[in-house]
Amino acid sequence: MLEMAQSLTEEEKYHRFMERIEAGERIEADDWMPDDYREALIRLISMHAVSEIMGALPEKEWVPKAPTLHRKLAIMAKVQDEMGHGQLLLRVAEDLMKPLGRNREDILKDLFSGKLKFHNVFHMKAPTWGDAGIIAWLVDGAAIITQSMSLNSSYGPYARALQRICAEEVFHAQHGESIILALTEGTEEQKKMIQTSLTEWWPALLMFFGPRSKENVGKSHVNKNIKYKIRTKTNEDLRQEFFNKYVPRIQSIGLKIPDETIHFNEEKGEWIYEQPDWDEFKKIVTGHGPMSKERLELRTTSYENTAWVRDALANRNVKEAY
Amino acid sequence: MNNDFYEEYEVFSKRNQMAPFQHQFSLLAPNKEMAMVMAKENFLRREPCVNIWVVKKSDISSLGEEERVILNRLDNKSYRETKGYGYLKKKWREYEQEQFTEKNLLK
Amino acid sequence: MVFNSKEELMENQKAYEATKSLLYQLADDDFLIAYRGSEWLGLAPHIEEDVAFSSINQDTMGHAVMYFQLLEELGEGKADDLSHLRNPREFRNAVILEMKNGSGTYLEKPDYDWAFAVVRNLFYDYAKTIRLQSLKESSYKPLAYMAQRILSEEYYHLMHWELWFKQLMDSTPEARQRMEAAIERVWDDFDGVLTLGPKKEDMESCQLIGGEKELKDQWLKRVQSIFEDVNYTIDRTPGMKNGNGRKGEHTEDLDQALSILSEVYRMDPVTNW
Repeated sequence: MLEMAQSLTEEEKYHRFMERIEAGERIEADDWMPDDYREALIRLISMHAVSEIMGALPEKEWVPKAPTLHRKLAIMAKVQDEMGHGQLLLRVAEDLMKPLGRNREDILKDLFSGKLKFHNVFHMKAPTWGDAGIIAWLVDGAAIITQSMSLNSSYGPYARALQRICAEEVFHAQHGESIILALTEGTEEQKKMIQTSLTEWWPALLMFFGPRSKENVGKSHVNKNIKYKIRTKTNEDLRQEFFNKYVPRIQSIGLKIPDETIHFNEEKGEWIYEQPDWDEFKKIVTGHGPMSKERLELRTTSYENTAWVRDALANRNVKEAY
Repeated sequence: MNNDFYEEYEVFSKRNQMAPFQHQFSLLAPNKEMAMVMAKENFLRREPCVNIWVVKKSDISSLGEEERVILNRLDNKSYRETKGYGYLKKKWREYEQEQFTEKNLLK
Repeated sequence: MVFNSKEELMENQKAYEATKSLLYQLADDDFLIAYRGSEWLGLAPHIEEDVAFSSINQDTMGHAVMYFQLLEELGEGKADDLSHLRNPREFRNAVILEMKNGSGTYLEKPDYDWAFAVVRNLFYDYAKTIRLQSLKESSYKPLAYMAQRILSEEYYHLMHWELWFKQLMDSTPEARQRMEAAIERVWDDFDGVLTLGPKKEDMESCQLIGGEKELKDQWLKRVQSIFEDVNYTIDRTPGMKNGNGRKGEHTEDLDQALSILSEVYRMDPVTNW
C-alpha cells in the first residue's frame, strides 16, 4: 500500500498537490511539493524573515533615545518582537531549504552579499523620534495588512508563524498610535516633527506594497503566489486597503498627506493617488537606498564579530560527541 | 563548523498545572541547555507558562505524507463512541415513565 | 528599626538620606547596565539570543524604573527627570556598568565584545541577587517588599548568564582566552559594584542593607564557586581602577551614554511624550 503511494509519477504528484491546494488543505514542511512552490515560498519567506531582522535596525536607533522610561521599555519590547518575528520566519524558511542542503548561515550570507533583498522601508533613514512613531504606526500597519492576507496561506508553517506575528503586531500598532497621538496633541515642535516624518515616509509607505503590475518594475511573482494560495490579494488590493484604513485616520489627527491628488473615487470605488517613483523603488530594493549600505554593514560587522561565539559552541558539541 | 551551532529543537509548554503540553514552535540552538534558555523568551514572553520541554528535532519520529494513509479509518466504529449508544437515553426514559402509568400507580 | 512608610522614614534624617543614597545606587546600576544591554539589540551572536537578552534588559530597566519611582515618592523629583536630566557627576552607578560594549557605537561599526557582556552581566547579577536578598530584610519596608518582587526575575537572568559563562569557558582556546581577558577587565573595576559608597555606615546602622564586607564576601564565594567549575583562578581582589562611581567619579563613557539616553527627552522635558 505504501509503495503504491510512492510510485506516483511526478505529474501525478503535482496533480494531487494541486488538488490539495484547491481543496484548501495545508501543506506541511515534509510534504511533497513542486519545486517552484518551494522556491516561491523560500523567496517570499526568507525575504520576509530578513526584512524583520533588518527592520529592527532603524527602530533600534531609537531604543535608547526613546524619550521616557516607559517609552524606552515599550520600544525595546517592540523591537525585540521584530527580532522574534525574524526568528519564526527564519525557522520556516530554514525547514524549506533543508532538503536543498542550506541553512540559516546561507540565508544570512545571501543577505550580506546583497543576493537576498529586504523590504524597501528598511533602507530608509529614521532621523527623528517621529520616525519611530511612523514606523510603528504605519509601517507596522501596512505589515498587518499584508500579513493578514497570508494567515490562510496554503503553507501551514507560514500561516502558523503569521498567527503568532499578527497577534503581536496589534500591540505594535497601538504602541505606534500612542507615540503619534502624544506628538500630534503636543507642542508645535512635536507636531512639526511628526508631520515631517509622515512627509518623508509617505512614498516609502506606498512602495511597501510593491508595484501595481509588473510593468512598473519588471518581473513579479504575485500571480504564482496567488495560484498556489500563498497569498490571496494583489499589491494594489493591499494598498487600497491601507488607504481605506489609514487615510481618514491620518487626516482626522490633523496630519497632511504629501499628495494633493489623493481622493476616493466613488465611481471606480478606489483611491486615486500619485504614484511613487518606481525607479527609485527598484534602486532601493537592490541595495542602493539611503541607508542600505550602513544597515547591512551593521549586521555584517556584528555577525562577523560574534563568529567566535558560534564556533566555540559548535566545537563544544563536537568535543562532547567524542 | 558553524553548522553544529544550529541544531533544531522543538519547544513545548504547559499553560497551567492542568493543561497538557502544547507545541509552541522551533528554534536553533547549539545544545539543549541553550535551547531551554532561549525557549522561554522566544515563545513565552507574554502568555503564562508553568513548564517547558525542548526536544531535539532529530529525536522526534513522525509520519511522512505517504505514511499518513495509515490514519485512515472507516466511519463504522460507532460502537467505540457514546453516540453508538444514544438509544439508551430513550430506553431509560420509557422505563421511568412506565413507573408512573395508571397501572403501576394503582399497584 | 523599622520604617513602614515614607512618612516614618522621613522622620529619621539619617535613615532618609542613607535610603536615598542607596536607591540612587540601585537605580543607576540597573539603568546603565540595561542601557548597555539594549545597545546589543539586533547584534547578538544568535537571533534567538537576541530575543532572550532583550527580555533581560527590559526586566533590568523595569527594576531601575521601580527604584526611580521610590525616589520620586521620597520627593526627589519625577522618575523621568531623575533618569534623564541629572548631571553625570550626580550618577551613583558603578563605573564598570557604564562602560561601552566595545569600540564603535550601536549605530556604527559596533565592535562589541560578547565575552565582556557575559562576564559583566553574570558578575553583576550575582552581586544584584546578593544585594536583593539582603534588601528583603531592609528596615525600609517599601524597599524590602520591592526587593522581594525584583528577586523573582533574577533566577532566569542567573541561569542564562551562568550557562553562557560555563559553556564559553569550556569550549575553544580562542573563547577561553577572550573570556579570561573579559574576567580580568571586569574584575579590576568590579569593586565599584560591591562598595556601598560614603554613606555605607549609615545604611548599615539604619539596617537598610547588610554590611558591605559581608555582602562582598558572599559575592566572592559565589564567584569562586563558578571559577572552580571551569578551572579558573585569579590571584587578586577586585579593584576600582577607573574610579568610584558611588562618589560620582565616572568615565567619558557615562557622558556618552547619558547624552544618547536623554537626547529626545531634553528637547522638552515638560511636554508629554
